[in-house]
This record gives sequence, structure tokens and C-alpha cells, in this order.
Amino acid sequence: MLEKTLVDSIKQNHSLTQAQQLALGKFIDKGFPTSKWEEWKYASLKHLNEHNWQWSPETLSVKFPKPDWKQSAIIQTLNGNTHSEGALPQGIALLSVSEFMAQNPTFESVWKARNPILDQNSLYDLNEALVSDFAVLWVKKGVKIAEPLLHHYLVSGQQDTAVQSKIFIYLEEDSEITWFEQQRSESSHAILSNYVQEIWVSKNAHLTLIKDQDLQQSITHVDHTFIFQQESSLVDAFTFSINAAYLRNNLHFYIDGPQVVSNLNGLYIPGEDQLMDTHSVVDHRMPHSESNELYKGVLMGNATGVFNGKIFVRPDAQKTNAFQSCKNVLASDRATMSTKPQLEIWADDVKCSHGTTTGQLSDEALFYMRSRGISKATAQTLLLLAFVQQVIDKLAHAEIRAELSDKIVNKIQTSLGLTI
Amino acid sequence: MLLVKNLHARIGEKEILKGINLEVHAGEVHAIMGPNGSGKSTLASVLAGRSDYEVSEGSVEFFGKDLLDLSPEARAAEGLFLAFQYPVEIPGVSTTNFMKSAINEIRTYRGQDPMDAVQFLKMFKEKMAYVNIDQSLLSRALNEGFSGGEKKRNEIFQMAVLEPKLAILDETDSGLDIDALRIVAEGVNKLKTPQNATILVTHYQRLLDYIIPDFVHVLYKGKIVKSGNKDLALELEERGYDWIISALD
Ligand SMILES: Nc1ncnc2c1ncn2[C@@H]1O[C@H](COP(=O)(O)OP(=O)(O)O)[C@@H](O)[C@H]1O
Ligand SMILES: [Mg+2]
Repeated sequence: MLEKTLVDSIKQNHSLTQAQQLALGKFIDKGFPTSKWEEWKYASLKHLNEHNWQWSPETLSVKFPKPDWKQSAIIQTLNGNTHSEGALPQGIALLSVSEFMAQNPTFESVWKARNPILDQNSLYDLNEALVSDFAVLWVKKGVKIAEPLLHHYLVSGQQDTAVQSKIFIYLEEDSEITWFEQQRSESSHAILSNYVQEIWVSKNAHLTLIKDQDLQQSITHVDHTFIFQQESSLVDAFTFSINAAYLRNNLHFYIDGPQVVSNLNGLYIPGEDQLMDTHSVVDHRMPHSESNELYKGVLMGNATGVFNGKIFVRPDAQKTNAFQSCKNVLASDRATMSTKPQLEIWADDVKCSHGTTTGQLSDEALFYMRSRGISKATAQTLLLLAFVQQVIDKLAHAEIRAELSDKIVNKIQTSLGLTI
Repeated sequence: MLLVKNLHARIGEKEILKGINLEVHAGEVHAIMGPNGSGKSTLASVLAGRSDYEVSEGSVEFFGKDLLDLSPEARAAEGLFLAFQYPVEIPGVSTTNFMKSAINEIRTYRGQDPMDAVQFLKMFKEKMAYVNIDQSLLSRALNEGFSGGEKKRNEIFQMAVLEPKLAILDETDSGLDIDALRIVAEGVNKLKTPQNATILVTHYQRLLDYIIPDFVHVLYKGKIVKSGNKDLALELEERGYDWIISALD
């Protein structure tokens, strides 16, 4: 059924390029991931087969409230269509990928050779099959913008809708931006939100990437973020997974030059009937680089959490420093967490360390706090907030930090209030 | 204010308290003494509401209310305080924030308005003087990396802030050098009023040189086997517990 509705709707709406047809064929062969696939063991998407999807999302026009902190630009991706609200700063352009490639002819072959790890990722194929021309945010050489670029990502539908979105961010040499992405939804219907974000970080460029994922309970959100880093570039990535029934993050870092620094910070706080799955890949392909992964999870209600952290250190990547930490608290007896660090090291002169823990709040601490008059829910909240603070504190931007902190406090308080 | 009748408590199959009777009135200081393992901390924990222990028999009234029916936080809001023998580390939560949460939840329980930041600051300053505690200690994660003496002083500081009607101090003297002991004891004495009461749990007489008890009880194998006035403590200091125990066995 999936195949028929998909093919029918595509025939009506698009003419596919050869590459798209190829991707579509791959997707139809594989179908949606099931728990039999190793990479989707705890996060099957079989339930997506039960919907009669609208594959052509409606066009949206939405005005978001402006935050009261200063941003350098507002860019919106509404049901897959990307545009900027107002002017962009000097040295930054938003254009279609075909225009971008026309202006950067030598880059096209580099781009085609980028080769991300797409093992078992049929959702990426689906995205590729249905997205023909996507937007590129182009940051020109040496352009440094202090105020964040605000990205509104929104999915919506009056019926069960599958939304494919894609955006490519290209940072030229010596450039620097902060990309703050608010991922949201507005729908009481089931939405499959399938989002691909690819980012090219050239020599000496610096990207701060912040994702605030706060979607409704009817949403299945799959985020593929693939970052390709060149020599001496720096990326500070933050993923705050706050709400959605199903949230999967495939966050990949491909380290393609020496002296690269990749920092991955993540916090997921699923509550009742929510699943959050992080699959990170850090692929050290070149020597003298460094990656730091700091993930924390608070699992409440009957939440499911998954963390799979792959680190590859290829034979050429001597003198690599790779560090990974994933710590989780089960704040409820009904919550579960699966962690799997996966290190594959082919170089001999490297420093790698990893550690994952999953525990509960200490009964001793809770009793001590309650004996002072602090209610159980407040005591749990205080301990959990102290636990997640380390990740929040790494955000340099004070207002964004405060905004996210409030949101996280709120979510934890509501979830504990509901489930105790 | 406190009326304990025939209190039995067990953990798993093991009965630890085997029929405790105790009556405490406003203005009184009671000392509970006894050798290690006799059940003193268990009694203190059961009164504060630790759920590891199952009360199998008996009753506890606190100002006429059934104490055993209340959650630990409600007991605190009703005016009960336990200074822990082993204060627990609370990672990432400063004493200041911890106390703000406690005060405001207790005030909500009592139908009072929350305290604002200015009121807190003023009150904290006053209370810090009681136990000679430093601001820097209060900004650190509670009990994390505190020395033994700092932990005990912090317990008394919390007591000063919460102004309980009944304070139970479990071995607050143990592990303190003589100066720290004096500071802690002075703090407790300053907090004494005709309206509140104190239960000192200790197995040394030392603390009782500084805080004079009205009653001294000896707890042994889960029962109060002897009660008397402050002279009993002195006698215990001199003769140990054996004369009481051998009279029993
Ligand atoms: N959590 C526990 N589990 C098992 N036994 C316990 C526990 N707590 C206390 N006990 C036992 O109960 C008895 C009384 O302990 P406790 O109340 O700590 O004595 P005290 O404070 O007088 O030294 C001891 O035999 C101790 O081993
Ligand atoms: Mg004890």
C-alpha cells in the first residue's frame, strides 16, 4: 500500500530525476525501518505503514513571534519550503542548490564524493527521492556574524502528512555563524517529519549549531544532520530533544582534515509515550583532530531512550583524541534506556575514551531533601536539573541558554507531576 | 508535642524497634543514649519518615496528629527536623537553593506567601551567625566535599533556618573536635525556646556538658530500658552501659 500511494502521488506531482528515481527504488525496496534492523532495533518505524500519507504537504505561511534577543536573520523552513524573513546579513546568501552548484562548479564533484554512512537509513533515501531542489545557506569567505541566525523549522498538515525537508549550509573558509534551529509542529494529525541537514565547514570556519526540538505528540521526527569538517574547523553542536512522540537524531561528523575540533552536546528528556533515539557518528578520517561527545538523558514516565555512539578512527587518523560520555537517569520505574558505544579504531596512536551510565536518583538524597520539607516531585526536579545543567551551561548565548533552560525545567516538572 | 506509644519497626524480617514509649513536651531537651546498634538512628529515621522501615505496631502523635500517616515533607512542614548522623551529598544543588525550596514549600503547606529574594538574604545572614558558617560554603553543592565538621554545622544551620518545633539531632557531636562541638552546641542552645523541644541522640556524654538535658533515656536492643535526669548521663560516662545491660539479661 505504501508503495502504491507513494508512487501514485509522485506521478501526479513531480517528474523525478534519475537520481531521485534511484533513491525511490532504494526506499521502496527497504521500506520503513523495523526493529529487525540493527540500527533501528529499539526505534522501529513500522507504525508509519499504517497511515494513508499525504505525500504533498500543504503550503504554509506562518509568522512566528520574534524572540526578544537579537538575531542576524530569520530563516524559515515551512513544510519543506525554505525562505528568509527579511534581509540577510552581508556575505550570506540563501539560494537553491541548482543555483549554488552553478556558481560553484568545482564544488559539485567534491559534494558528490562526500560519501556519508547511509547504512540502513531508508528515510534518507525517501528524502532524496522526494526533494528535488533544496535551499543552500551560503556563508562567504571570512564572514563572521556574532548574532545567531534563527531557523524556524515547521511541519503541519490537515491530514496525515509526510513532510520532506532538506537544507544545506555551506561555510566558506574563515567564516563563523551560530545557527539556532527551532523545530516545531502544528498539527493534530500524524506527521512524518523527515529532515535532512547537511553542512560543509571549510578550513578555519566555526559553526555553533543549536537544535531545539519541541514537537507535538502526533509527530514522528527524523533528523539527519551530516557535518563535513575541513582542516582547522570547529563545530559546537547542541541537540536539545524536548518533545515529540518519536524523535530520532542521526548526527554525523565527518572529519576530513587535520586540527579539526568537533563538540557534540546533547540532552534528551522524553516523558510519557515518547521515544528519543540518538545515533551519532564521528568519523575521524584525518590525523590530529579531536572530538568530544557529552550526552545526557532524563527518562520519565514510560519513556524509551536510545543512544548509539559510533566513533571511527580510520588508519590515516593518527593522533586522534576522541572522547564520548553518555549519562542517563531513569526518573521512573517504567522508563527504559539502551546505550551502545561503538568504537572502531584502525590507527594505533590515538586517545579514545568512552563511558555510559544509566542510573536512578538516589533514595538517600531524595529522603534527605524531603525531610527538609521539599516535596518528592520538587526534590526529583532539583536533582534532575542539577544533572542536566552541565549540558545547558555549555551554551554561550545567554538568552538562548535561559530560554532552553526554562523549557527544560518546565518539561521535567510537568512530566514528574503527571507521572508520580 | 510528641507521644510515642509502643513503637515497633522492622526492616525486612528484622525487628529493630521493639516497643518504644516516649513523651516530649515543649521546652524540654531529651537525650537518647545507648551503645552502637541499639536502634537510635532507626528511631530518628522512623520519626522523620524514612520508608525503608516498616512500622508494625504502635503509634506516634505529633501535636495530636498521626505522624506516621504523613509524608516526610509534611512532617517537616508540621515542624519536625532531623539532623542526620550522615548528611547526604546533593550534587549540583547549593545549600542556598536547597533551603529556598524547602522554606517556600513549607510556607505553601502552611498557607503562607513565599519569601522573596531580599527576605531570604536577610534571614540567611542572621542564621549564618548562629553556627559561624561561611557564605562560600552555602554556595557550594550541598555536603559535596564538605568536611565532617562542615556537614554537621550545615545541619544546624538548616535547623536554624527551618525553626522546627521538634529537632532530633542524630550523633551531631560525633566526629567533631572540641571547638566545632562548642559551636554546634551553642547554636543549638541559642535556638532553644520554651515552645520547641530537642531530642539529642548520642552515645557520648560529651555533648551533654554543653547542652543540658532534662531527661536521659537509654535505648538498648530496640527498647528504652532506663530513663532518668542528667545525672544518668554522668553515671553512664563513669560506669558504661554494662551495669544496665547485665541487670537486664
Ligand atoms: N537499612 C538497614 N538494613 C539492615 N539493618 C539495619 C538497617 N538500618 C539499621 N539496621 C540495623 O538495625 C540496628 C540498629 O541500627 P541503628 O538504628 O543504626 O543503631 P544506632 O543508631 O543505635 O547505632 C543495627 O543492628 C543495624 O545493623
Ligand atoms: Mg546511629
